[in-house]
Amino acid sequence: MSVFFLYPALLFGLLAASLPILIHLLNRRKLKRIQFPAVRFILLSQKRISRSYRLRHWILLALRTLAVVFLALLLANPIFQTGAGLFAGGGPVSLVVLLDNSLSMTWAGDGDGFKQAKEAARLLISALNEGDRTALIPTNVDGKEPFRLKGQKDILLKELEGIEIADGTANPAAALSKAYELLAEPAGQKEIRFITDMGLTGWDQFSLAALKQVDPSIALKLIHIGHKHQPLNGTIKTIRLASQGVGVNLPTQIEATVANFGDTEIKDLLVQLSIDGQNREQKLATVPAKGETSVNFQTRLNQPGAHVGQVILKKDGLAGNATVHFALDTQDKLKVLVVDGDPQTSLVQSETFFLSRALNPAGERDSSLFLPTVILSDGLNSATLDGYQVVMLCNVAALSDAFVTKLQNFLRQGGGVLIFGGDKFQPESYSQRLSQVLPAELREKKLGPEASGEKVGKFDLDHPALQNLSESTLQESIKSARVWGYTRAGAPGKAALISLANGDPLLLEQKVGAGRLMLFTTSADRDWSDLPVKTVYLPLIQSLTQYLAGGKRGMLDAGITVGTAKELSLPPGYVGKTLRVTKPDKQNVEVVIAGEKDRARATIEVNDQAGIYRLDFPAGGEKDSGTPPIYAANPPFLESRLDEIGARELQTKLSPIRAEVIPVDALKEAGSRTDLALPLLALLIVTLLIEGWLAQRF
Amino acid sequence: MSDREKNYFDPKVLAGISNLALRARYVVEGLMSGIHRSRAKGFSVEFEEHREYSPGDEIRRIDWKALGKFDRYFIKEYEDETNLRAYLLVDSSGSMNYASDGITKFDYACTLTASLAYLILKQQDAAGIVTFSNRIEAFIPPRAKRDYLIQILHALENRGPGGDTDVGKILDEIAGQIKRRGLVVLVSDLLDEPAAIVKGLRQFRFKGNDVIVFHLLDQAELDLPFDGNILFEDLEAAELRVVADPRAIRSTYRVVVQEFITEMRKQCHDNAIDYQLISTATRLDQALASYLSWRG
Repeated sequence: MSVFFLYPALLFGLLAASLPILIHLLNRRKLKRIQFPAVRFILLSQKRISRSYRLRHWILLALRTLAVVFLALLLANPIFQTGAGLFAGGGPVSLVVLLDNSLSMTWAGDGDGFKQAKEAARLLISALNEGDRTALIPTNVDGKEPFRLKGQKDILLKELEGIEIADGTANPAAALSKAYELLAEPAGQKEIRFITDMGLTGWDQFSLAALKQVDPSIALKLIHIGHKHQPLNGTIKTIRLASQGVGVNLPTQIEATVANFGDTEIKDLLVQLSIDGQNREQKLATVPAKGETSVNFQTRLNQPGAHVGQVILKKDGLAGNATVHFALDTQDKLKVLVVDGDPQTSLVQSETFFLSRALNPAGERDSSLFLPTVILSDGLNSATLDGYQVVMLCNVAALSDAFVTKLQNFLRQGGGVLIFGGDKFQPESYSQRLSQVLPAELREKKLGPEASGEKVGKFDLDHPALQNLSESTLQESIKSARVWGYTRAGAPGKAALISLANGDPLLLEQKVGAGRLMLFTTSADRDWSDLPVKTVYLPLIQSLTQYLAGGKRGMLDAGITVGTAKELSLPPGYVGKTLRVTKPDKQNVEVVIAGEKDRARATIEVNDQAGIYRLDFPAGGEKDSGTPPIYAANPPFLESRLDEIGARELQTKLSPIRAEVIPVDALKEAGSRTDLALPLLALLIVTLLIEGWLAQRF
Repeated sequence: MSDREKNYFDPKVLAGISNLALRARYVVEGLMSGIHRSRAKGFSVEFEEHREYSPGDEIRRIDWKALGKFDRYFIKEYEDETNLRAYLLVDSSGSMNYASDGITKFDYACTLTASLAYLILKQQDAAGIVTFSNRIEAFIPPRAKRDYLIQILHALENRGPGGDTDVGKILDEIAGQIKRRGLVVLVSDLLDEPAAIVKGLRQFRFKGNDVIVFHLLDQAELDLPFDGNILFEDLEAAELRVVADPRAIRSTYRVVVQEFITEMRKQCHDNAIDYQLISTATRLDQALASYLSWRG
């Protein structure tokens, strides 16, 4: 039950109720003087009527004040309403129904919250009278949608049918702002009904300041769809790759973290891993109340390229997002040609021993992402570089003209070359033959005792080739390495990826055509440095090899959050071209690729659905963009949290808007709306009649 | 009687005539022309006393023998042989100085008194006058001389209303000064204690006088026709003031006034006193009719 006013601004007229009192006070001050002979009779009369006179006087004053109050209330046109939603009388209504279609509505109301919400909206629309106008706004608006008030129930009901659950979080501020914008113009009775589960996630971020337009005089009623029973509430918090890279036929470890928002432990939760639609593995997990549990899967992918994956939770009565999508970019084995320029009879003494172990630690064919092939430098001239992604020259004395030509062609076509120094390495020969592709001018060799070796000074963690070294243990490891022999290189104006404490470069890079050449100024084995026996050596070599092979591949992409933009950094050849994006519902969206510095950038903003988005790169780009052709979008993790914002807290957030929270069941109860204008008019007339009669009696 | 003459009974018309003698004459002439003239009741011939000459006295009435004896002018006064000696008592207290519509109660009282005196003298009866407030302001003993009217009018005109009222005490005092019985006519608003007034009037009755009371009130005193919040200040007692809404008390006020009038009428009736309530809106002929009915 509630009373509201059609024209609340006219309630200021209540101030006029003080007028009779003011007039009374003014009259008391403004006295007329009369000299009169029979004052004694007046005194006697007053004595006789004193009590009744005063009583009548106050009754008159009260009646006059009441009359003004009734008049002001009458002009403001009060409406008495019982029930929460059905209208009957009270003049034309301009109503905006806001429908919370955030993902959390899926689990509200004990599992059929959105259905209840739609039913509530249907009830409201059906109860509208002739002349009423309504707009239906879902909460996943971005403020640009063209909503308008309309009076046709059939169209409104059709619109209602078309509203589906969105995979993102509700944006109550945008929806409310739109509602106030729509209600700014029409006169008469206005109302906003917000059907919502009052999910904490959506409302927690709400701020009244974000609303472009607010009218506190418009009544806001929040129709609350709550839970009758506390459900099991859990979801997948994160998906990550637990192993190093994702390669064909390599064991791939995927770790899913499952969170429990509820106060009850979730037992026997089936967690299932699915790749390309096939169930790969499933495990039972127990998630403590308000806690998290990690579930590990191991799988192998026998095809290179992009794969779609899902981790699915299965449990009866579980409320929360049960499916998380991710993308796997499986890398075929990287073939690396390792050239040993200083072969030894002992394998351990070999120049390439540590390097080949770093590339394939287990030494087995299907145990590493990399497939190194070691040859001696004598066989360089006859070697063919086709089929290799990276060539590593370890302490190779000098290169023949024929091999230099092959190497330069290999580089231009996108291959990667890593050159290590050493005692056999002839800087003059390299400077002469590879002057066009070397990152620096090679100078003399510098060799000192091991004990007085230089430490590593600086390393550029921002460089993509070194980003894998961001862990502090690896950084400590590389800092602890000592280098006592290296070839000095002069590269004025060029920053080294890794440099020694004395400033001499240790690792330099030069881009050549589509490929890259890197120069390690020290040896690949322990002859000139202790780097090969440091922890950092393996990830450093693998990271450099991945980089030289062309971008970061062989990764798990856990995806973005629905509603956020996906940024792609592409080779500059894509600038101005159109990227086609296929959404999870198979709809296509085209995105124009823009230029940014020396790269191309595509910003995909249509990520409004959870699932896998597929990219069709335009023709004419470079050979390998290094960007996987799929990515995943998942609902916001916290959208699965079913905690609700308290009614009082919500009302505080909405203040000065008068917000009333009504349970959805109240809508189903019969309600009525009574215009109080007529009863008030009757009261006013009766008051005036009594006043007139009493005044006459005086 | 013409319409024009009739208008002279209207107090408002009379208020426009400043000369009291003229007013009295208009009233009485108008009245007498409409009724049968009464027979003269006798003429005064008996010497009563000498009194000193004062300007205005007729020369022929100077007692020349007395002049020879005392070397001073004396007028020979003769006692009127009339069957009526009328004492006209006029209340000249402050409360009489009230007029809600044109003529004050005092003016009305003066006109009425003058008319009575004129009428009495014209019928060769003796008329005297006493004006009083809380004391006797003027005392003109009754005489039956025609030209005596001038002195009566002079006494009325020379004295404006003012001062407090103490009707009961004053009536006692006047009663003490009246030596021969006759007719006592009191014209007053009687705004005093009814018991004291009646006690005073009873003194006259004890001495064998006939008494007529003209209870004179303004119409506003009867009706209280005012509106709005009013501070009423008493005309006699400055400390007596009250704020009242006449609309609220009007009906009660009228009851109170009527109770007072009824009480006065009853007391007068009980003491064989003629009581006549008149308001300043009452035509003079109606007021005089009361006297004429008594006179027969």
